[in-house]
Amino acid sequence: MTLLYREGRFPAGVSVMYKKILFITGLLAVFLLYPSDAYAMHIMEGFLPPLWCLLWGGITLPFLVAGMLAIKKTVKRHPEMKMLLGLVGAFAFVLSALKIPSVTGSCSHPTGVGLGAVLFGPATMSVLGFIVLIFQALLLAHGGISTLGANTFSMAVVGPLAAYLIYRLCVKLGTPLWLGVFLAAALGDLLTYVTTSFQLALAFPAEAGGFTASLVKFMGIFAVTQLPLAISEGLLTVVIFNLLTVHNKQELEELSVISRRDLTSKGAGA
Amino acid sequence: MLKIDRYAYINRLCHVHPVEKFSFALLTMMICLLSSSPLTSLLVILLMAGLVILPARIPVLFYLKLMLIPMAFLVTGVLTVALAFTKDPCSFLWAVKIGGYMFGMTTGGLIAAGKLFLKSLGAVSCLYFLSLTTPMVEIFSVLRKLRLPPLFIELMSLVYRFIFVFLETADKIYIAQASRWGYATLKTSYFSLGLMLSNLFSKSYYDAQMLFTTLLARCYTGELKVLEKSYSFSRKNLLLITAAELALLIISWWSGASTNF
Repeated sequence: MTLLYREGRFPAGVSVMYKKILFITGLLAVFLLYPSDAYAMHIMEGFLPPLWCLLWGGITLPFLVAGMLAIKKTVKRHPEMKMLLGLVGAFAFVLSALKIPSVTGSCSHPTGVGLGAVLFGPATMSVLGFIVLIFQALLLAHGGISTLGANTFSMAVVGPLAAYLIYRLCVKLGTPLWLGVFLAAALGDLLTYVTTSFQLALAFPAEAGGFTASLVKFMGIFAVTQLPLAISEGLLTVVIFNLLTVHNKQELEELSVISRRDLTSKGAGA
Repeated sequence: MLKIDRYAYINRLCHVHPVEKFSFALLTMMICLLSSSPLTSLLVILLMAGLVILPARIPVLFYLKLMLIPMAFLVTGVLTVALAFTKDPCSFLWAVKIGGYMFGMTTGGLIAAGKLFLKSLGAVSCLYFLSLTTPMVEIFSVLRKLRLPPLFIELMSLVYRFIFVFLETADKIYIAQASRWGYATLKTSYFSLGLMLSNLFSKSYYDAQMLFTTLLARCYTGELKVLEKSYSFSRKNLLLITAAELALLIISWWSGASTNF
């Protein structure tokens, strides 16, 4: 086709049509094929300019300090909780290294944002998420040291906070437990990537159109491709949560020491 | 199971003082990020690849495979920066008109994307240098020297130690499930994964209690103390690091001033 076009066998109108079709197919290919095996899409090492790295680090720091203080308080009262926090941190890392089959047929890795937020609360989750992100950068080469602040903000602060609030809202409204867990996990996952798109768009505003044009571009690629993956993660989290409420009721009750509220009062009935 | 971790313990540079490696990797990364010239990024990529392959003796093929990991993000990210769309047809190198909007690439966008590509790869090679030559245990000792809260480092080392236990357990459960058609259809895969993770969760819970009991039996008073390997600074390494950083700084200043890139 390219050869024919170059030799000028097509009239001008057709070549424009051809270009257009090629472009749209290309875009579609990116959308459909892209997440064939997508790790949780952290911003990679060196992608953000230094100023933004520092800024996001500064914004994330208070959340980490708050998380550390909360953990310190818990550990002081219940010394055995330190071991538990370390081990559920390892659990969170393993969770993020597993593959879940996506509804579109491809594979993805869960972020664990929703499950962690509902189980441990957003304050604890910020510290655990931070630790998991450090290990992902050093052991799996996903994410990075310089972008640690930005990734922690999207993945360990915004995602869990959103998931936690959505879950609480659903409990308050009296929706079935599975719906609350599904929405918390799926929207928590999605909001993580919306935040990532924001961070990228702020760092790389388009030459023409500035921040908004750039945001549309990054949202199109990072948030929209994430939609089926968010749904998969939501489904998986519901399955895990149902099994946990059936088999591990006692552990969940003890965990409410960390998240500071009763978790199973609603869950047992569902 | 985690190959990067394995190489961190068996590479030929693992006897070098961790502070030397840590500061070298981070300083080089900082210069690479702050410099605006692509030449610096290219030099950093070559320098780190040379160090990882020659003195540290990491297999070339493995290093190349590692470099491919961030490509999925890098290519999409860079393309998104390069691609522009507006309503008015401005100075596009190549563009397509779709419904009143112009999609295409501009010269400025392409240059910015190319520079970003090299810069990210440079920073990634610094990260790889650190993670391939320095065992995690030594990184903890560096963090301890940096006066991070002890509770935080303790949590980190607990997570690190149990990652491998859980990865192995997950692997075994996966094999057991898969050999019983647990992952035959989409529906069973979700159920199997859910079963595996909820089991893993209760296992981590049980292991935590057992660990606490064991520690109590060994006079645990709220602090995990581990022995640290003692290293000595080598004057030659420190001199080489300073020389390399200075050279990089001078080159990036010189090339940044002389080119418009």
